[in-house]
Amino acid sequence: MAVSGTSRQKQTDEVMELTLVNTVFQIFSSNMMDIPVIKPLVDVLMTVPIVKYLVALILWKPFFAVILVPGLTGLMLSLLFIIWFERKLTARIQWRMGPLEISRSIGGILQPLADGMRYFFQEIIIHKEAHRPYFVQFPILAFIPVLLPVLFIPAGTVYAIRTPYALPVIVSLISMIPVVIMAIGWASNSRLAFIGTVREAFMYFGYEIPFIIAVLAMAVLYGTSDLYLIVEKQRVWGIALNPISALVFLITMAMATSRLPFEIAEADQEIAFGPFVEYSGILFGLTMTLAYEKMYILGLLFSVLFLGGGSGPPLPFLGDLTPVIWLYIKAVIIMCIMAFLRAVYPRYRIDQALRLGWTYLAGLAVVSVVIAGLISAGGLLP
Amino acid sequence: MRSRITRRVRIKTPDLNLVDRVKGHIDAIVTAAFQAIFPDRITIQYPRERRDVPDNFRGMIQFDINKCISCFQCSFVCPANAIMMRGAPDGRYYPCIDYTRCIFCHFCVDTCPRGALLRTKIHDVAFSSMEEMFATTEELIEPPEMLREDDTVIRYRIENGDLVLEKIEEIAELSTRPEIQVSPAKLSACAHPENCIACTLCYLTCPSNAISVKVVEGKRTFEIDPKLCTGCGLCVKECPTCTLTLIER
Repeated sequence: MAVSGTSRQKQTDEVMELTLVNTVFQIFSSNMMDIPVIKPLVDVLMTVPIVKYLVALILWKPFFAVILVPGLTGLMLSLLFIIWFERKLTARIQWRMGPLEISRSIGGILQPLADGMRYFFQEIIIHKEAHRPYFVQFPILAFIPVLLPVLFIPAGTVYAIRTPYALPVIVSLISMIPVVIMAIGWASNSRLAFIGTVREAFMYFGYEIPFIIAVLAMAVLYGTSDLYLIVEKQRVWGIALNPISALVFLITMAMATSRLPFEIAEADQEIAFGPFVEYSGILFGLTMTLAYEKMYILGLLFSVLFLGGGSGPPLPFLGDLTPVIWLYIKAVIIMCIMAFLRAVYPRYRIDQALRLGWTYLAGLAVVSVVIAGLISAGGLLP
Repeated sequence: MRSRITRRVRIKTPDLNLVDRVKGHIDAIVTAAFQAIFPDRITIQYPRERRDVPDNFRGMIQFDINKCISCFQCSFVCPANAIMMRGAPDGRYYPCIDYTRCIFCHFCVDTCPRGALLRTKIHDVAFSSMEEMFATTEELIEPPEMLREDDTVIRYRIENGDLVLEKIEEIAELSTRPEIQVSPAKLSACAHPENCIACTLCYLTCPSNAISVKVVEGKRTFEIDPKLCTGCGLCVKECPTCTLTLIER
């Protein structure tokens, strides 16, 4: 009896496991990406026993949004592209060649990859005065506020979490990044890092308020903070409805990602990358790309708020991938515009940047809220 | 004049209105965008491209043994003492250049009466040891060995006051043709015949056999053939009594 009891128990376990797996599989396969181009391949793979779970997971919309595009993979690809693009564009404008020696035939586009690999194999020096545990973990912790906003950004129907509080959540998560940077500067415990940290703190207050007000203006205009609804409501792009808000968003974005007119906290000519001065090896790689990652997230947010998100001319045979591609292209174009600024402008002093942030930008942001209120109240939104 | 120098100049921040500021921003962005699309690059990608240098560029030196008359002028004039004359099996002396000393002043090339030393445009030769930098006569005859990777020549020309960079797809010619002698032609002449002790040293040293000896009434007399004389000055140097001198033709 005992034996049969155990086997029955085992049988029940197996059945339960099978049901669990099937339930999960049901969840995955009920919300899969529909891409006509690879549909025959997917249909074939879905009949293979184990592989079908994997395929269902990869093509599950939340997973696709977070891990592939516009999430982690898209972020990495855009990082590799934008670092190369920024260097190359600046070089062209300054009559130089830019990165070229690595992969000469394709214009040196593999240079950021080569740099990244070099960072991996470089020694990480932790100097004596640094607060060792914080010094090592903050660059890695910085990824949490950088990557979490991706959960809430919709590309058409491809999104991880849909919530009416998406916009406040994204803005608050983005606001956490400078806190981590300040923590990095504190943990570095050196003079230049300290100067950079203080500058970062000043800048933080300088741009964050106009930024939040500008985003608020768009929430007022659309009457919702649900990004999915915001995209749906944009028959006319938000940049045409409220250009002042878009301008404030762009300038504060340049401040937030320390692009060149406002590259005050990093200022590599005078304080040698500010808060990140003590880092080397892969930790430096992580901290250096922090601003670019923030730029990507802000680019996605800008595209969703002002450029119609994933909307665009339909691409044949791509199905659910169409809005993803359009959103990605828009975000990368915004990043390119930010990279272009570096070649045009010299750096502001901190007092000039703060004056700009606290007076003109804050004023313009309030004006944009008024405009948004008028449009919203007048029922001008189609 | 003095008051102009000491006058105080006060620099004010330019008082720009909003329109001027916006115009300035737009101007900067348009310029940058134009350069981003059609860049006026000035980089010379050196091993692949080579800048075109003029014919009188002072590079490594090449030697034409058939023209050399062993006059030693190059070795005398060398301010860095880089040229050593070395005896050859044919009994004459030919220059060797020590590139550890050479300062590339090309006085030797300028002073050579026969144009036996030639300029080249080669300036980028790597040596693996100090000994290798001593170029013997045999090595000087051939142009210095170097690795060529270039396929483009960069030339500059001035157009409307702007320096314009031109890229021409050709392999740069690095050797030069021997230039026409520009220094005044010299001639050996007897300045003080009363000093002559008839030692025949001038006759023996003359590389071009311009000096001939005749014995007249038991006395040696010398005659200089102006057609054969190259003005190399060897006889002037050798003459123990300063009888000979160089005059301009």
